[in-house]
Amino acid sequence: MSVRINPDLLPDLLASIQQSEQNENTATTQLSSGRTVNSPSDNPAAAAAIVLNHDQSSQDAQFLQNISTLQGRFQVADSTISNVVEVLNQALSLGTEGANGTVSATDRQAIATEVQGLLTQTVGLANTTYQGAYLFGGTNVTQQPFTVDATTGAVNYNGNPNTTSVEISQGNSITANVPGDQLFQNANGSVLGALQDLYNALNTGTNMPAAVTEVQNALTQLDTQRVTYDNALNQINLSESFLNQDQLNLSQQENTLEGADLSVVASNFSQAQLADQATLSATSQVLTQKTLLDYLA
Amino acid sequence: MGGLSASLNIATQSMLAEQGAIETTTNNIANANTPGYSRQVPNLEEAGTIQIGSLTYGTGVQLGSVTSLRDAVLDLRVNQETQQQGQLNAFLEGGQQIQELFNETSGTGLQAPLSAFFNSLSGLASNPSDLTTRQNVITSVQDLATAFNQTSNNLNTLQRNTDLAVQQSVSQVNSLTAQIAQVNQQVVTATKSGENAGPFEDQRQQLINQLSNYIDVSEIDAGDGGLTLTTTSGAALVVGNQSFALSTQANPTTGFQDVYSNGSDITSQITGGALAGQIQIRDQEIPAMQNSLDTLAYNLSTAVNNQNKAGYDLNGNPGGNLFTPLTQVQGAAASLTVATTDPTLIAASGTPGPYNTAANINATGDNSNANALLALQNQNIVDGQTPLSYYSDLVFKIGNDVSTAQTTQQAGSQTLLQLQNLQGGVSGVDINEEAANLVRFQTAYQASAQVATVINTLLQATINMVT
Repeated sequence: MSVRINPDLLPDLLASIQQSEQNENTATTQLSSGRTVNSPSDNPAAAAAIVLNHDQSSQDAQFLQNISTLQGRFQVADSTISNVVEVLNQALSLGTEGANGTVSATDRQAIATEVQGLLTQTVGLANTTYQGAYLFGGTNVTQQPFTVDATTGAVNYNGNPNTTSVEISQGNSITANVPGDQLFQNANGSVLGALQDLYNALNTGTNMPAAVTEVQNALTQLDTQRVTYDNALNQINLSESFLNQDQLNLSQQENTLEGADLSVVASNFSQAQLADQATLSATSQVLTQKTLLDYLA
Repeated sequence: MGGLSASLNIATQSMLAEQGAIETTTNNIANANTPGYSRQVPNLEEAGTIQIGSLTYGTGVQLGSVTSLRDAVLDLRVNQETQQQGQLNAFLEGGQQIQELFNETSGTGLQAPLSAFFNSLSGLASNPSDLTTRQNVITSVQDLATAFNQTSNNLNTLQRNTDLAVQQSVSQVNSLTAQIAQVNQQVVTATKSGENAGPFEDQRQQLINQLSNYIDVSEIDAGDGGLTLTTTSGAALVVGNQSFALSTQANPTTGFQDVYSNGSDITSQITGGALAGQIQIRDQEIPAMQNSLDTLAYNLSTAVNNQNKAGYDLNGNPGGNLFTPLTQVQGAAASLTVATTDPTLIAASGTPGPYNTAANINATGDNSNANALLALQNQNIVDGQTPLSYYSDLVFKIGNDVSTAQTTQQAGSQTLLQLQNLQGGVSGVDINEEAANLVRFQTAYQASAQVATVINTLLQATINMVT
C-alpha cells in the first residue's frame, strides 16, 4: 500500500498561488521601475556597486562643471593675452617708426605718448578679472595685481608667484593660472618693462634699437608663457570628452548592474500569469471536486 | 450462555458498535476542516468468547476504543520548523525596513549627500574665492549632517518599534503557555481515566504550534500524557498544569526590554520564534548598522575638521571646525551638526595670513587646502576604507543579511509545507475514505438489524410451538 497522502490539497495549492502571485508582483515591479534591483537584498553586490557607480557619475558631473568654470576663465585669460600681443605689435611698429632717423623730435614725442597709452592699456589688461577675481595675481585674486607708481611711473606687481592646481578628472590635475609677474614681467623678456623702456627711449631719443629688440623679446616670451593656457584649454577639452564618455560608460554599467531586460521580464510576467491561472483553475476544480458521498446519494 | 437470546444479544451489541463507528466517522467528516484536528479511528474488536462444553462461541463485536491518529515526531518537527519560520519572518520584517533606509537604487540613502559634499569641495578647489561656491560647501555640509541625523533617527525609531513588538510577543507567549497548561492537565486526566485524549492533544499541539511562532520550545514527555515545555536553553514554560510567565524588564544601558524567566535574563538565549528574530533586529542588526553610521560620521567629520584646521580661511586666519567636533563614535551620526554657517571660514587656502595687510601673501585664490579636503574622498579615513567604499559595504551588509534570511525562509517554508503534508497524511480527514467507511458501517448495522429480525421470527416460532 502506498503512503497515505495529505487529503487536503489546499495548502499546496495556496502555496503555489502565493508563489506565482509573488512572481507576478516581482515582474510588475521590475517592469514599472525598469530595474531588477529594487532593494539591496535583490542583489547585495550590485546594490553596493551602484553606490560607487552613482558616486563616480556625480563626480564626473562635478568635474564637468569645474571644467566649464575653468573654460570661461581660460578663454578670458587667453583672449586678454591676445590683446596684449596686439598691443605689443602696435608698439613694435611705433618703435620701428620712432627709431627711423627721419622722424622729427616732436613727432617722436607724439609716438612716445602713444606708447605710454599702450603701456596703460597693457596694465589694464594685466588687471583683467573673471567673475570678480583677478586672473593674473597668482593666488592673490582679490587685490589689483599691477599698479603704477604715481611718482616714478614704475609698474609694481602686488600678486604672488603661486599657481593653483585643479583636478579636472579623477587623478588628473592641471595648472589653472600663470602668475602675472611671470607673464608680464618675465626676466627673459618683460612686456611691461619693454613698453616702459620703449617709452623712455622715444622720449629721450636714445637706445631706440635696443628698446625695439626688447619689445620683440617680450613678444616671444609672452608667446612661450601663454602656452600654459593653450595646453590647459586642450587638456580640459580632452578631459571633457573623456568625462562625457565615462558618464556614458557608467550609465551602461549601472544598467548592467540593475537594469531589467524588459523582454525577459515581460516573459517572466506572462509565465507567472500563466502559472497563476493554471493553479487557480486547478484550485477551483479541487474545491468543487465530487466526493464519494455525491455518488452514494 | 447460548441460544437465541445470546444471538439477539450479539446482534444488538453489533448494532451499538457500528453505531459508534458511524458516530466516529461522522465526527471525522464534521471536523474535516478543523485546524489541528486529527482523524479518529473506531477500533472494533472481537468480544470475549464463551465455553459451552467442548465448544467455544464468540460473543460478537465491541467498540474497544476510539483513537486519534497522530505522529508525535512529525508534530515536533513541524513545531521546530515553525520556530525557525517565526524567527526569519520577524527578522525579515525588520530587515526589510532597515534596508529601505539604504535603498540606493531608489535614491534614498547617504550616497547622494556624501557625494554632494565632496563635489562641493571639488567645486571649491576650482573656484576658491567665489562666495557662491563656498556657500555650496556650507549647504552640503548641512545636508550631510541632516542625512546622518535622519538615518540614525529612523534606525532608532525602528529599534523602538521592535522593542514594542518584543513586549507583545512576550505577552502572546504568556497567554499561550497559560492555555497549554490547562489543556495539558486535561490530557493527563483523560489518559489516566483511559479516555481518548486525542482531542485534547489536538488542541495542545495546535497551541504549541502557535507558541512556536513566538519562541523556541523544547518538549519533554512527562510520561503521564503530559508535556513539559521549556525554551531550548531550559527556561521552564509549562510544567504539568502550571505555566511560567516570562516577564520583561528595561535594560539599564539600552533602555530596551530584556526578557526574564524566573528572575534570570534569557534575552540572548532565545533562539527561535518571532522573539528571536525581533531581538536579533533590535539588539544586533540595528546596533551594527547604527555603529557603522556612527563610525562613518565620526571619522569623516574628524578628518574634515582636522584638514580644515590645517588650512586658512578667506581672511588668512587658521581654519576651524566645519562640523561640531565629536568626542566619541557612539551616537556620532545622530549628533552630527555644522559648526559654522559662514562661507568665508572654509579653509581653502594653504597660505597663512592675515591677508589684506601685505599684498604678496594675500592668497585668497589659493586652493591647496581645498584640494587636500577633496583628497579625503580617496583616503582610507574610515576604518581603513574611503568614506564611499565604507558606505557601500554597509549597503552590501544589510542587503546580504536580508537576502540570506529570505533564502533560508523560502527553503524553510517549503520544508514546513512538506512536513505539514506528511502530518496531513497521518492525521488529515479524507472525505472519500470516511464515506467508504460510513457505507461499510451502515451495511454492517443493517445486517445486524436484519439478524435481530430473523432471531425475532425464530423466537416467535418457538413461542408458537409452546402454545
